Amino acid sequence: MRAGPSQDEIRRYNLGALLRHVHILGPTSRAQLTTLMGLNRSTIGALTADLAAAGLIREEQPRSHRGAGRPSLVVSPASDLVYVLAFSVRVDRVVAARVGLGGVVLDRRELIHPRGALAAAEVLETLGGFATEMRRTLPGTAICAGAGAAVSGLVRADDGLVSLGPNLGWHDEPFGERLTGLLGEPVAVGNDADLSALAEHTRGVASACSDVLYLHGDVGIGCGIISGGRLLRGHEGFAGEAGHMVVNPAGKPCSCGSAGCWETEIGEQALLAAAGRPPDAGRAGISALIDAASRGDTEAQGSLRAAGDWLGFGVANLVNLLNPQMVVFGGTLRDVYLASAAQVRGRLNRMSLRASRDPLKLRTPALGEDLPLLGAAELAFTRLLADPLASGV
Amino acid sequence: MQPVVELRGINKSFGPVHVLRDVNFSAYPGEVTALVGDNGAGKSTLVKCIGGIHPADSGEYLFEGRPVQVHSPRDAAALGVEIVYQDLALCDNLDIVENMFLGREHTRGLVLDEASMEQLAADTLASLSVRTVRSIRQKVSSLSGGQRQTVAIAKAVLWNSKVVVLDEPTAALGVAQTAQVLELVRRLADSGLAVVLISHNMNDVFAVADRIAALYLGRMAAQVPAAAVTHSQVVELITSGASS
Repeated sequence: MRAGPSQDEIRRYNLGALLRHVHILGPTSRAQLTTLMGLNRSTIGALTADLAAAGLIREEQPRSHRGAGRPSLVVSPASDLVYVLAFSVRVDRVVAARVGLGGVVLDRRELIHPRGALAAAEVLETLGGFATEMRRTLPGTAICAGAGAAVSGLVRADDGLVSLGPNLGWHDEPFGERLTGLLGEPVAVGNDADLSALAEHTRGVASACSDVLYLHGDVGIGCGIISGGRLLRGHEGFAGEAGHMVVNPAGKPCSCGSAGCWETEIGEQALLAAAGRPPDAGRAGISALIDAASRGDTEAQGSLRAAGDWLGFGVANLVNLLNPQMVVFGGTLRDVYLASAAQVRGRLNRMSLRASRDPLKLRTPALGEDLPLLGAAELAFTRLLADPLASGV
Repeated sequence: MQPVVELRGINKSFGPVHVLRDVNFSAYPGEVTALVGDNGAGKSTLVKCIGGIHPADSGEYLFEGRPVQVHSPRDAAALGVEIVYQDLALCDNLDIVENMFLGREHTRGLVLDEASMEQLAADTLASLSVRTVRSIRQKVSSLSGGQRQTVAIAKAVLWNSKVVVLDEPTAALGVAQTAQVLELVRRLADSGLAVVLISHNMNDVFAVADRIAALYLGRMAAQVPAAAVTHSQVVELITSGASS
């Protein structure tokens, strides 16, 4: 029988919690931390001293001070020195970045490629090259806290094996293992929609929500689910493949081998094809389609209305199933949602349960186009935030 | 939840024309309330009553639950009610900072306090996550339609306003800029302001609104949560004043 957590465990937990607050909020006064964590001032002082000695944070006098009394020291993350390597592999680009504690992008490289299949070996070579370049310019005292990668595909949680990346053309690709070998640093790999959900939940539009559904659109549809404040992963990490929910049994064949999947109705190729446009035009093609619809092109309007309706159809089912506080539409779905919200809302309001629908918020991402990359960085920081003073960091 | 602005039984006539008849209207903090209606339904007149340009003939104006008298735009501004009109009322020959503080400049002694105005303008734009503007010392004439709209909105929130009324903010904008302005409208409400959005575009309304208020021939046909109605029901409210 265990007698409860030991002194060491409590201290490790508190160090992690304090570092997480500073990581998310940026410069924070000791007084604020005292209130946030509900610990007494001397404990906060001891914790910040330990973290500062490890080079993870800095303490400074506040720049401006109002009110009576000695000003409380401001605790800031050592963003310039403590960093992670973050990678993102998507159908149209490969991105690598060095992200500092606090979520600051310090250095970023990307390679844009035409949409479609992409050999894993090529991606690894590109990412390895980027990592080498970024490491070359590092200050000598910099501390690497980990590495994370976001891949659009089914990613096995324990070893980063990409079981299926239908739109990259990957099958059982040991991506995590190979990237780890290449960097000489363990790389945590996750599904890009999952990690986007994590990023918006950590410091984006959904930061006040414990239950979030993030939907990303490009060629396929990705979905990340935060439930009760945690990422829903499923048994091996494959949960949340909402793009492959069958919504239309009489529908078109899907890249996954099934037919009538949600992404065959609301993916960018479906929208473009329905409007009689070249299906490989990508996000720019979707923008052009929405523009044409706003100028009265009836084919474009019809395609957009149908997509809005199917989007509402799928969201209604997911909302009934998961009862999220917020649904966030990213990638091409951001554009589609904003341009066909009347259809999305109409279908959602007719199909979803009232109790789940009433408090639901529909939003677009706050963190911009690098969302999966920022999510990969958050994943990479997990280890440091769980145990800030562990050896090796 | 208590509305920030609540109008009760508002009537307004211009000579023999009875424009608003017993209109009730509420705007809540943290919410976007869309005001919809056909041309001539009374949307602009209602907004001008809220903004103090046309005081109502009869009816009550409550601000945060207290009855108030709003007889001029100054009264409205003093309460924290700002209106962004369709023409934006920006001066092309002035830069962004000068526009944002036009008529309410900060002074230090006899001279303008440029540094504090610049800082506040930059902070306000940053708080709205506006990244599209290159320099805040740019002349407004060099800005795109969407950027102008952004500056006009930033000007409205600069004054610790509690209510911001936006009259057709996406009219005449391209698709990408419309999307950015809609996201900005949503962020304003998410930061705690009560936002009133006048729009003819049902997609814009459903994309950001929490509540929809439909005017029909000078009467409030309905004020309903956006989660409770469909597109066609709102169109019915606008065109016939009732929905099945």
